[in-house]
Amino acid sequence: MLKLKNVLANFKKQFLSISKHPYFGFIVLGLIFLFALFLRNMGLLTISVINTFTLVMIYSVVAMGFSLLLGFGGLASLGTAGLVGLGSFIMGYFHGIGGMSFGMTIVISIIIALAVGLLVGFISLRIEGMYLAIITLGLGEMLRQFFISYDTFTGGFTGTSLRSFKIFGKLFESGNDNYFNTVYIIVIICFILAMVATINIIKSPTGRALLSMKNSESAAQSMGISIIKYRLLAFILSSVFAVLGGVLYILHTKFSYPPQWNLSYSLDILAAVIVGGAQSIYGIIIGVFLIFGLKVSVLNYIPFFSNNPALIVIFNGVLIVLVVMFYPGGLIRLLQTSWFKLKIKLAKIKMKWRTYRYGKDDE
Amino acid sequence: MAKMMNNLLIKVYQQILIRIEDKAKFKKDYSEVVLARKRLRAENRINSFEDNLSAKCLVLALKYSVNNDATKELIASKVQKIENKFYWRKRALKTSFERKSAKAEDKSAVEKTFFDKARELDNELSKEIETINQKYSGIKSNLEQYNTEVKELEIKTLEKIAQIERKSASSLEDFKKKTDNKIELLNKFGKYFKDKLFALVDQTKINNYGLDEDVILRLDNLTMRFGGLLAVDHLSFDVKEGEIFGLIGPNGAGKTTVFNCITKFYKPFDGKMYFRKNKIDTVFLNDYKVHQIIKQGIVRTFQNVELIWELTVIDNLLVAAHTLFKTGFFGQLIHTRKLRQEELVLRKKAENVLTKIGLLAYKDSYPLGLPYGILKKIELARTLMVEPKMIILDEPAAGLNDAETLELAKLIKMIRDEEKVTIFLVEHDMGLVMDICDTVCAISFGKRLAIGTPKEIQENKLVRDAYLGEE
Repeated sequence: MLKLKNVLANFKKQFLSISKHPYFGFIVLGLIFLFALFLRNMGLLTISVINTFTLVMIYSVVAMGFSLLLGFGGLASLGTAGLVGLGSFIMGYFHGIGGMSFGMTIVISIIIALAVGLLVGFISLRIEGMYLAIITLGLGEMLRQFFISYDTFTGGFTGTSLRSFKIFGKLFESGNDNYFNTVYIIVIICFILAMVATINIIKSPTGRALLSMKNSESAAQSMGISIIKYRLLAFILSSVFAVLGGVLYILHTKFSYPPQWNLSYSLDILAAVIVGGAQSIYGIIIGVFLIFGLKVSVLNYIPFFSNNPALIVIFNGVLIVLVVMFYPGGLIRLLQTSWFKLKIKLAKIKMKWRTYRYGKDDE
Repeated sequence: MAKMMNNLLIKVYQQILIRIEDKAKFKKDYSEVVLARKRLRAENRINSFEDNLSAKCLVLALKYSVNNDATKELIASKVQKIENKFYWRKRALKTSFERKSAKAEDKSAVEKTFFDKARELDNELSKEIETINQKYSGIKSNLEQYNTEVKELEIKTLEKIAQIERKSASSLEDFKKKTDNKIELLNKFGKYFKDKLFALVDQTKINNYGLDEDVILRLDNLTMRFGGLLAVDHLSFDVKEGEIFGLIGPNGAGKTTVFNCITKFYKPFDGKMYFRKNKIDTVFLNDYKVHQIIKQGIVRTFQNVELIWELTVIDNLLVAAHTLFKTGFFGQLIHTRKLRQEELVLRKKAENVLTKIGLLAYKDSYPLGLPYGILKKIELARTLMVEPKMIILDEPAAGLNDAETLELAKLIKMIRDEEKVTIFLVEHDMGLVMDICDTVCAISFGKRLAIGTPKEIQENKLVRDAYLGEE
């Protein structure tokens, strides 16, 4: 008996030490999403829930790249939509139409993202704040116009659709459960990898360098951090994340048309990062769920909102105003503080119970 | 041609030597950290075994009902627990009785039931206490058996502890031997290259830009112009190695501009700046960019503290150690083992620096909201992370009170003596400057007024005129 107790205590200790590792939470989150797929195949969840989850994961990947740029680098960008669109069209053109292999397409998309990120970074070198946002907005719109007019690549105004994809020599045709499940699993894997990459960047000298660039450029420079290098790096990282998000997007929805990648999409990503908390991965996921997931899963089914979609934008706007006014650190800060308060309250209740049970008060 | 070749070779050898020395140093630091960790772990294990032993002895003592202090305490605490429980039950009974007696007409009946119940409770309590006593001391005490079993246990645990000690010692030795071998090999290589380097240096005349042996920094006709304003006007002076050099002057004299020129925040309009990086290498500072200056061995602080407010104090120091991280971006992306080792070593180093400055208590707090004096000290600690040759302090005492200034003076002197660095500072607090500086240079409107020991400066007429106005 005593030995079993020891073994259990040891196990608990080890589990606690493992659960403190940041990867643990990510993998648990991925498993929860995977369990949702399992439930749907059992017939317990509707397909719309899985759709919501997929979209939340895809947009989280984009938002994580954006948070590296905004939350850590302190650089505002409004050209995210163009990059996501670019990713989707690369997938649609090179893999869907051109018949290039899946891995090669990913490599090409990363290379293109790198080039675009470098370009934006170089343009932005001497520009800060508002003006940077305006310039990136211009770049995003340029990309959109490019998508519309260059129709051999994007299919023009009607867009591209992806009917099937091939991975590891296996062909997946759209329209059946097999396709759906495979895409969902690919999205989960990419989501976990993106989270791992993000936390690794944040908790390494690069993350600190980005933060110091945001806080004080002169201090960063005098500590040997090259502003040019890290600005370019921030832009490159965010564009690679965005383009990969686009690739996942077209895999999931099977189509992409240019007018979709407009300013309001970029603003939604910005809103998601700000509402959730620009420096926390879980915060970003919460933000993405509030901005995108609620729209897809809840608000579209309420007649009040679905009859006039402009109200959804207003809802998002009110959310941003409230969060920025009361919780500048994002909703994750609110959750953390309330969790802390709850803990204190529970401890107080426990103390009261103990004094009631064992303590003697002076009469 | 031969000279050029030699110069090139010298540069190559130097690079190799730096790499080897860095690696050897890293290995040494890492082995120290790991050894300390392993020792701590072994100690913890031994402690846990000792704790376990005492717990087991207590169990045995209860089993054989040996009346030592520990068992008595245990029994007393159990009795106390039960008494407390009954106290509350009794109290509840009492309150209910009071409520009932206030309502009821026939008070005597209620009273009677109450007393009955109270007596029952008392009986129960005494019974439970008796059972506890029986449980733990009802059996006849058996000292002999207890002693033998305890002895067995002690021998067992002692054996285990000895085993752990032997194991940890052997593993420590192995680790130490391995790293020592590696370090020795590296040192051998280093010595080989060092000999070659020095032989080459003796052969060729190295361009040290005409700097004297003891001069570390030379400004030659430095001029800085902002539009029509001449902020620094043909300023030239030498800073000697290992001294505390003070630059003073009235407001707007161009002191901070000189600093910004040296650290390349401004591009000098005209003039040359030389810095002696080490015995062999002298660098022409005009050729370098802002972020390369720290690699030459010059670190600076700022007039109004420039810290990274979103990072903890120790992370701020790690930002300063940015150039010491050798892992590339992709290594950081997957958190390689090397990066973790580097992080461990540099974190330990940061802790050491903080201990030296006396800020270890603020290690994990955010700088936002800390007192101004401590922020200044954090900036000072930040400069020490890279083991610089020269520290440039921009008004270190600005905003500090008298006590803090005195402490700062002590600290600056301590840093100079212990780290063997040159300190170059701008200051308005004349008391501090005259107290700690070896050489003082006074400037006014970008021009040099005088240079010399503090006493000479104090007696200089030009300086007095600049500060107090002409008579």
